[in-house]
Amino acid sequence: MRARRLAAILTGTGLLAGATAIAQPVLDFAPAEVRRIRQHGPWPAPVARDPSNRVSGDARAVALGRRLFFEPRLSATGTIACATCHAPERAWTDGRRRGAGLAPLDRNTPSLLDAALHRWFAWDGRSDSLWSQGLKAILDPREMGASARHVAAVVGADPTLRCLYDRVHRPPPEADAEAVLVDVGKALAAFLETIRSGRTPFDEFRDALLRGDRRAAAAYPLAAQRGLRTFVGPGRCSVCHLGPQFTNGEFHDVGIPFLVAPGRVDGGRHEGIKRLRADRFNLLGPYNDDVIGAAATKTRHVEPQHANFGQFKTPSLRNVALTAPYMHDGRLATLRDVVRHYSQLDMERIHTHGEQLLRPLRLSEAEIDDLVAFLETLTDPRAASGPAPPAVPEACAGR
Amino acid sequence: MSARAGLVAAALLAGVAGSAEACEAPAGFTARKRLASKDVVVMFRTVPEAIEIGRHFSVEAVVCATPPTQGLRVDARMPGHRHGMNYRPTVAATGPGRYVAQGMMFHMPGRWQLVFDVQRGGRTERLATDILLE
Repeated sequence: MRARRLAAILTGTGLLAGATAIAQPVLDFAPAEVRRIRQHGPWPAPVARDPSNRVSGDARAVALGRRLFFEPRLSATGTIACATCHAPERAWTDGRRRGAGLAPLDRNTPSLLDAALHRWFAWDGRSDSLWSQGLKAILDPREMGASARHVAAVVGADPTLRCLYDRVHRPPPEADAEAVLVDVGKALAAFLETIRSGRTPFDEFRDALLRGDRRAAAAYPLAAQRGLRTFVGPGRCSVCHLGPQFTNGEFHDVGIPFLVAPGRVDGGRHEGIKRLRADRFNLLGPYNDDVIGAAATKTRHVEPQHANFGQFKTPSLRNVALTAPYMHDGRLATLRDVVRHYSQLDMERIHTHGEQLLRPLRLSEAEIDDLVAFLETLTDPRAASGPAPPAVPEACAGR
Repeated sequence: MSARAGLVAAALLAGVAGSAEACEAPAGFTARKRLASKDVVVMFRTVPEAIEIGRHFSVEAVVCATPPTQGLRVDARMPGHRHGMNYRPTVAATGPGRYVAQGMMFHMPGRWQLVFDVQRGGRTERLATDILLE
């Protein structure tokens, strides 16, 4: 149902092959609105090589990481692969309210689309690199439950994996299990960097608007234009959901209860910073390949503050229509529920010592419709299709 | 060094780190802004010059004070949002009256207040300026 509705929206914007664009008026956006709309592009945004990962951008590492991503033997039980929870055909998430590896988890599984552009990883920013976040999933008893020794043994024993590994990394898997674990994380990250979303109806509209092409801009649904106007204007959504990724990459308390279970709370960013600092795989540790040291600037300067309690990462809104349910604990089933949450915000719930940023938007039902229509146009039609099955490079094929 | 050259060097040094009245930016230092009170002058520039939302930057400062400065703290807040930065900058002295604050980041658009706390003579004097990011 959701896929059919999205297809209808994308067809209406003329983005899908064979679609006929329906001419509609273009709202008369004020110069200040156009400036804000401009800031949400261009797209795709360039991805720089990760200096903390010496195999970032290395095609051989991408091949290894791709194979590892779909490899359930990396888990302690041989049953959970990265792709189990980050399913390519589900826009690299799982469609569940809360994730589940070897045991149930407390939070919604984030999509991996465009993860290479993130500053912090996981809802609480417990990781400062893509590669170290992958290691946490492998080692967490509730996710894949593995150990460095287990991972090194799997890589060392499988002829294809071993061949792929030896093309990228030294020393061999028998040498140092922890070093192999880190190499696995870095190869996985090299693959994840290639998971990028493409252009969306919004991007076509933005670019047409900026070049003054009203004919092309008119293909963008009027409801989405009105929603966009609310988004960059009175809704103030773009204060946090800013830039080409529609996120500032930082952390906020948006009024979602942090009680996970009776007597147990989710400390959010406060807990995340503590875990980051205790992490031997963080960018201040021995496995950071950045010789200049600039990559660790964020880690060196971040400190837990009282206001961090109950804060969670501002998610990107690109392809958000494909990644339901929503919020850090998956409590909201639809985009309409999310917009309604901000419309009816419970100010009593917002941390009293925290920032004064949010206020109830008090939107009408029509305005809610418009905002949802806008959010749905942030969808790349190909984002949920995923990659072809992992191919083994010729040099390692048949092993 | 001759006595004359020594006097010139001392004068130049005083120009950089000396009294507020004699405060001048050192050669090659183009200040983004000069902040002044009766006894304190702070000239600063940002590196990179243009502050981008969500990008780390540094603040280089020249401080002249009477009595001389003993230290500097640099911080920033968004008074309208009632929050500060998510990062705590570290300030290092790079010469007499010269400092660099690293690890700054403005993570939202809007009005930020950049704050310099100048420590001198057992007291702290605050100078501040607004920076608007759209």
